Amino acid sequence: MNAVGAHEADADAATLARALETLETVILGKPAQIRLCLACLLARGHLLIEDVPGVGKTTLAHALAHVLGLLWQRVQFTSDLLPADIIGVSIFDRASQRFNFRQGPVFTQLLLADEVNRASPRTQSALLEAMEERQVSADGTTYPLPEPFFVVATQNPHEQLGTFALPESQLDRFLMRVTLGYPDSAHERELLRGGERRELLSHVAPALSAAAVLRVQRAVRGVHVAEPLLDYAQALIARTRERSDLKLGLSPRAGQGLLRAAQAWAYLAARPAALPEDLQAVLPAVVAHRLERRDPAGGGDGDEVAREVIRAVPVPT
Amino acid sequence: MPAAAPSEVDRRLPPLAWACAAFAGGVLLNVDRVPPWASAVALFLIAWRLASERAGLRLPGTVARALLALALVAVVLLEFHTVNGLAAGTALLMVMSGLKLLETRARRDQFVMVGTGLSLLLAACLDRQSLARAPLYALEAWLACSALAVIASEGLEVRAALRLAGGALLIAMPLAVLLFLFFPRLPGAFWAIPRGAEATTGLSDTMSPGSIVKLVADYEPAFRVQFVSAAPAPEERYWRGPVLHDFDGHTWRRSSGAFHPRERLQYLGRPYRYRVALEPTHQRWWLALDTPAQSPASNVSLTYDNQLVAAEPVSEPVSFDAVSYLRTRSLEPLSASSRREDTARSRDNPAALALAQTLRQRAGSDAEFVTATLEYLHRGGFVYSLTPEPLGADAIDDFLFNTRTGFCGHYASAFVTLMRGAGIPAHVVTGYLGGEWNPVGGYFVVRQSDAHAWAEVWLEGRGWARIDPTAVVAPERLRRGLLDLLPDALTTRERLLRSSEWLTRLLQQWDAANAWWSDHVVRFDYPAQLDLLGRLGVRSPDVRYLGWAFMLALTLWLAIIAWHIGRAAHPAPPDALSRAYVRLCRKLARIAPARALHQGPLSYAETVRARRPDLALPVRELLERYAHLRYGRADAGAREESIEEFRRAVARLSLPAAAPVNISR
Repeated sequence: MNAVGAHEADADAATLARALETLETVILGKPAQIRLCLACLLARGHLLIEDVPGVGKTTLAHALAHVLGLLWQRVQFTSDLLPADIIGVSIFDRASQRFNFRQGPVFTQLLLADEVNRASPRTQSALLEAMEERQVSADGTTYPLPEPFFVVATQNPHEQLGTFALPESQLDRFLMRVTLGYPDSAHERELLRGGERRELLSHVAPALSAAAVLRVQRAVRGVHVAEPLLDYAQALIARTRERSDLKLGLSPRAGQGLLRAAQAWAYLAARPAALPEDLQAVLPAVVAHRLERRDPAGGGDGDEVAREVIRAVPVPT
Repeated sequence: MPAAAPSEVDRRLPPLAWACAAFAGGVLLNVDRVPPWASAVALFLIAWRLASERAGLRLPGTVARALLALALVAVVLLEFHTVNGLAAGTALLMVMSGLKLLETRARRDQFVMVGTGLSLLLAACLDRQSLARAPLYALEAWLACSALAVIASEGLEVRAALRLAGGALLIAMPLAVLLFLFFPRLPGAFWAIPRGAEATTGLSDTMSPGSIVKLVADYEPAFRVQFVSAAPAPEERYWRGPVLHDFDGHTWRRSSGAFHPRERLQYLGRPYRYRVALEPTHQRWWLALDTPAQSPASNVSLTYDNQLVAAEPVSEPVSFDAVSYLRTRSLEPLSASSRREDTARSRDNPAALALAQTLRQRAGSDAEFVTATLEYLHRGGFVYSLTPEPLGADAIDDFLFNTRTGFCGHYASAFVTLMRGAGIPAHVVTGYLGGEWNPVGGYFVVRQSDAHAWAEVWLEGRGWARIDPTAVVAPERLRRGLLDLLPDALTTRERLLRSSEWLTRLLQQWDAANAWWSDHVVRFDYPAQLDLLGRLGVRSPDVRYLGWAFMLALTLWLAIIAWHIGRAAHPAPPDALSRAYVRLCRKLARIAPARALHQGPLSYAETVRARRPDLALPVRELLERYAHLRYGRADAGAREESIEEFRRAVARLSLPAAAPVNISR
């Protein structure tokens, strides 16, 4: 069993490496972001991709779903979207004389929630409840969601009109927020020349499967976290709480997520134990959307704060 | 706005109150050095200013303040006839700063007040340097520094301010010690402060029948003596002070000032070597065991009557080494001028004169006459008392034939009068007798209450002979201290202190601490500094070496401070693995940028690789080993060995300095 497990783990690592390569051919010039997204999913976290339109948010989400070999659904969020449109509805079945619950798009392994901030708060919170509980309740019955279950949401930060910004409590449910940014000139040239990227996806085979993803998630949880690393993580978290220019420091949930993400990052680097470097690599993506400056004019976004925190806390020797 | 008023006062009062406290502390330290009115004025002005802040009392206007200032300067001038000198200067500073307080509004003014408090502290330090005051001075320094902290940062809590100031003072302490030890104390430099006329203490150069009794109630130490070898017996410890020659029938005085040659002496018996530490008296004489053989210092002369007289009054503690012999014999006859001086008689006291002549006629020789006179005092019903009846116009006659009660001064005075009545040269010697052994410090402390007076008589063929007429009346006085003899002379406090053994012991320890303080701290002067340098191994110490030592010690102190600050930023490595890792990073820092504090081992490996690709492999291997040992899963037993192996690998790691990097590539 053990030998078989080890063999499978090696195989999973190899497939993951392949998956990363595939993704990099689809999303050009963003290896760090791709790796972060993958780490987020492997750490059983939900992902928020935030950026201006047209930089490949949706393509990235598609690619992730495809490469991981998961069932996926896509919901385009609009202001008139209702909770039932996501969760599903109970329909009266004449034949059996009773209500049948028809599952909504949320019953999938990877839910792509496009422009999540366009929906009304009510709909948002229905989704977010599903994210946290990994189950939905309708008409007094609880329906578990499939395993694995991920939400990859995208949002456009600059669009103000007709959007409902996610409140802090709901942002906290996303393990990571990743921003893509514009490609550099060489990759942009390649993009312009290469045509539609999403079409590429149809040519590549899924690298993993749902079972493999679950296996890898278990393996990620097994990545060793030593006491000194916990010390370091605590020091980082404490630092965010000490800073007087922040509205709030990191929550314990954020701390847990930070460690899980670091484990996933270490796993992707094929390390049996998480290192301070792993924490540092995931820290900006994990904390940036949770840290808000008291004074918005104070300069620097969450990313910058995260980098300052890293610089301010010495790594244990 | 009435609502804002209380908070405004709350906000403004603490800094002002602290400034006032610092100033008041300085005033209180100087209370016994300035006339009472000066401290009273200063304290009153402080109270006024505080009351005005709290209760809105009106403060005087500009004109009133100017008039007040002029008036106060005038009063100081009236009191001292100068504004120069420590006491006058202190008084002036006190009252003028009090006035300044009335116009303090800004924070800057409050700083000035604290500065004044510190100046007053300095003034007190210049004058009063006893051990008992040291804690008071330290307290005032602490108070003033805390006041600075409160004024500088509004809303600082009292405890925080005290802690801050205390910590700062403690950090500064080593620097103070350095300055104390090594800052060159050149003699006669600018800090020789002109002193006003100071009240003298101890023996004076006159003696009237009642004068010594004032000293008897004074328990303060006059001086301390440490004998090199054995000390003489208590009844032989006569400490020679002013020798009095002139008598007007009531008061004895020093000589008229005419020149007298000093008779050569043959010193008999063994020499006694000892060290005396004098407390300041503002008098010119130094006290030595009777009879000193030579002058102990260049500015001190041994007079014709074997007294040590300095050129300057003793205004600070002084210590000196001396040699004395208990017995002497004169090798020369008494000079005519001395004989004239010491046989002079006043026209008063006729009965005493008659008695002297009668006794002399009956006696066969001068020596027998001395014995007969002592016998007369012994059997004549004389009583030793510190509270004798007052004497009439012919004081000696009144004492000899009427009151017959008195103490050493009376007996010495009467005895010398009788001797002179018979034409024998004689004079009164004042000084101290005995001294209390302090087992803690290993010295004798001689107190003002040990003051004594005796007589010296010239006996042909022998020279000056010490005769203590008190001894025949109250022989116990010689063996025991005066206070044991007459317990009524003690105040309640002193009786209490002497009542129990441990209190006595405590008192002795306190006295020993005082002696140490004035010996090693107050009297730490330029020669003592050079002596210290000599003990530190400097062969021919002088002021340059002192400067070097000071600079060296200062640098050392700053280095220690810097090291501590640096250490706070880099906490000490907790275990062997950390130590090895820190060592590795230090080694790597020689060939690559130092590891940033927030850099983990692997990212540092990248940093090193970027600078030295040729060393990337071995460095990375070591850093990965560290990462594994620190963050990896511990395999119980093997860990210790792996760490040791890692430590050795780090020690072995050699990093060639020059790397053959091909830049063009």
